Amino acid sequence: MQRKDFIKTTSFGLLGAMLTPLHRSPYGQYLAKNEVILGHNNKRYKINTRWSQADVARYPVNNCHEMVQDKKGRILLLTDETRNNVLIYDKNGKILDSWGKEYPGAHGLTLFNENGEDVLFICDNTRHQVIKTTIDGRVLMTLDYPKETGVYAKAEEYVPTETAIAPNGDIYVADGYGKDYVIQYNHKGEYIRHFGGKGDTAAHLSNAHGVCVDMRDKANPCLMVTSRVQNAFKKYDLEGKYLETIDLKGAWVCRPVIKGDYLYAAVLQSNSRQWAQSGFVTILDKNNKVVSNLAGSTPLQRSPDGQYSGAQVEEMYQTIKAFQYPHDVLIDDEENMYVAQWNSGKTYPIKLEPVV
Amino acid sequence: MKNIHFLIVFLSNVAVLSAQDAFQLAPPLLKYPSVFFTKEAKIDLVFAEPNTQIHYTLNGEEPTENAQRYTHPLSITKNFTTVKARVFGKNYLPSDVVQATFIKEGLPIKSAETTLPNPKYKGSGAKTLIDNEGGKTTVSSPTWLGFQTDTVDVILNLHKKEKFKKVLIGLLRDYGSWIFLPEKIAIYAFDDKKNYFQLLDNQIFNQSKDIKGSFYTPSVLSLKKSIKTDKIKIQLHVVKQIPDWHVGKGNRSWIFIDEIKVYGDE
Repeated sequence: MQRKDFIKTTSFGLLGAMLTPLHRSPYGQYLAKNEVILGHNNKRYKINTRWSQADVARYPVNNCHEMVQDKKGRILLLTDETRNNVLIYDKNGKILDSWGKEYPGAHGLTLFNENGEDVLFICDNTRHQVIKTTIDGRVLMTLDYPKETGVYAKAEEYVPTETAIAPNGDIYVADGYGKDYVIQYNHKGEYIRHFGGKGDTAAHLSNAHGVCVDMRDKANPCLMVTSRVQNAFKKYDLEGKYLETIDLKGAWVCRPVIKGDYLYAAVLQSNSRQWAQSGFVTILDKNNKVVSNLAGSTPLQRSPDGQYSGAQVEEMYQTIKAFQYPHDVLIDDEENMYVAQWNSGKTYPIKLEPVV
Repeated sequence: MKNIHFLIVFLSNVAVLSAQDAFQLAPPLLKYPSVFFTKEAKIDLVFAEPNTQIHYTLNGEEPTENAQRYTHPLSITKNFTTVKARVFGKNYLPSDVVQATFIKEGLPIKSAETTLPNPKYKGSGAKTLIDNEGGKTTVSSPTWLGFQTDTVDVILNLHKKEKFKKVLIGLLRDYGSWIFLPEKIAIYAFDDKKNYFQLLDNQIFNQSKDIKGSFYTPSVLSLKKSIKTDKIKIQLHVVKQIPDWHVGKGNRSWIFIDEIKVYGDE
């Protein structure tokens, strides 16, 4: 029910007068969901919980894992529902097409423009494979578990969660539910090297759930890799040399998504309230400082000289239960945000429009 | 009068509809080094969201908007004080309640012995149970000892014979991780003359199924009358068959313990 409708139907004088003494409880004052504005600073969004117009019976979803936008402006959603692993929407939430029945563990979806053509890379947790396809699902290449690394004895040890493609076509695969290595291949799928992995040093990873190529500093392109259980992103150069850790205390960040100067990430859950639908969305500026949390705690205030107050990162957490378990964000060509969610009652993605 | 009655029903229906269409606030964070304290426990309540206030109680009642508003860190000195806190704000439904019970130092314990915990959750061995650390709801916290044996025996050696009346056991309940409360807890005191542990009392636990998430559950067991002893045994019985409503039905559950305290007549 829209709040406006509520006001209309109850705007009789008598009723209004009765309401106050009888019900001090301020129910009528709460914002309707679609009136809510989430986020901070210059990154604030109006939430639209009714974006998808899909018919559940016809286009079912299970976990909604990741989303990308193709060069035609269409929105692609990857789900592990094998009746339609890929749903293709327009920006208004209308289903245009669907494909894919062979990806039971569909988890990671990355789009790369290869000499003018959009291609997709799907990570399948269940098949222990990375599959490269055309935009309409024709298989171009399949990467099996990386024997060449010498660190895997069998396919089951390898559970890829994400890929990132460098401008030269090199493929980086994050084994986020396996051994936490990042495996680098050339564009033909030939093994180059691996790095990261589980361990105790800063260069190691714990739940390397996502990876992206960060070109924001043109002179120094780098890889941003998720270390989700550590509530951090870790930065490596394109040859896998560890550079630094971006501490995001309290936030179980999923993959980093870069658009313009900003890095966006779905936060699966708050560390302070685990497995209790405590997710939110975080946004970092080009210096990798948190500037906005959608449905999350207010970021630390900047001092007038632009520096953050205090050396310690303050713990972040969910404040408004607008999301359950956000798993990925997509920023489209008009700066709208879409949030796909894991284990959230088979619900479709949520759209958020920027407030300017 | 009839008309007014009708109006109330109508309004409450509207309220329900409207409430379902609004978002709820998340609960505040309770920050403290440990739920165990010797003289005083300091607790911070944290919630960084504009236009919201934290309200709390210390008397066990559910906090309403009329409850004390949180403005500065709380100081607790009374044993078994439960802090309950909740966030209110004008735009969103009030949060669920979060709570923690703060526990004061009991009779001095010289040493503890336990059944061998599972190697994955072995903390620092038996002394984990008397180190004043705990109250965490993270399964992986080294403050926990985790067991999957039929029974868990804990023996506490006091420095000297003392009047013993109450025992407190810090337990975790996390159905998602198959951690249940024990089915039964039995309390014994060592009888020097007969050279065996004499059963004093036992308590059966009911497993309520309508909880979701991870809960710190400090459980107090009180004897009918105090007894003088320097050696106490506590025996916890694991749920051997997880009930049908749980995904792990028929399997053995876990027991997680982080601290045990004993008290005399207070």
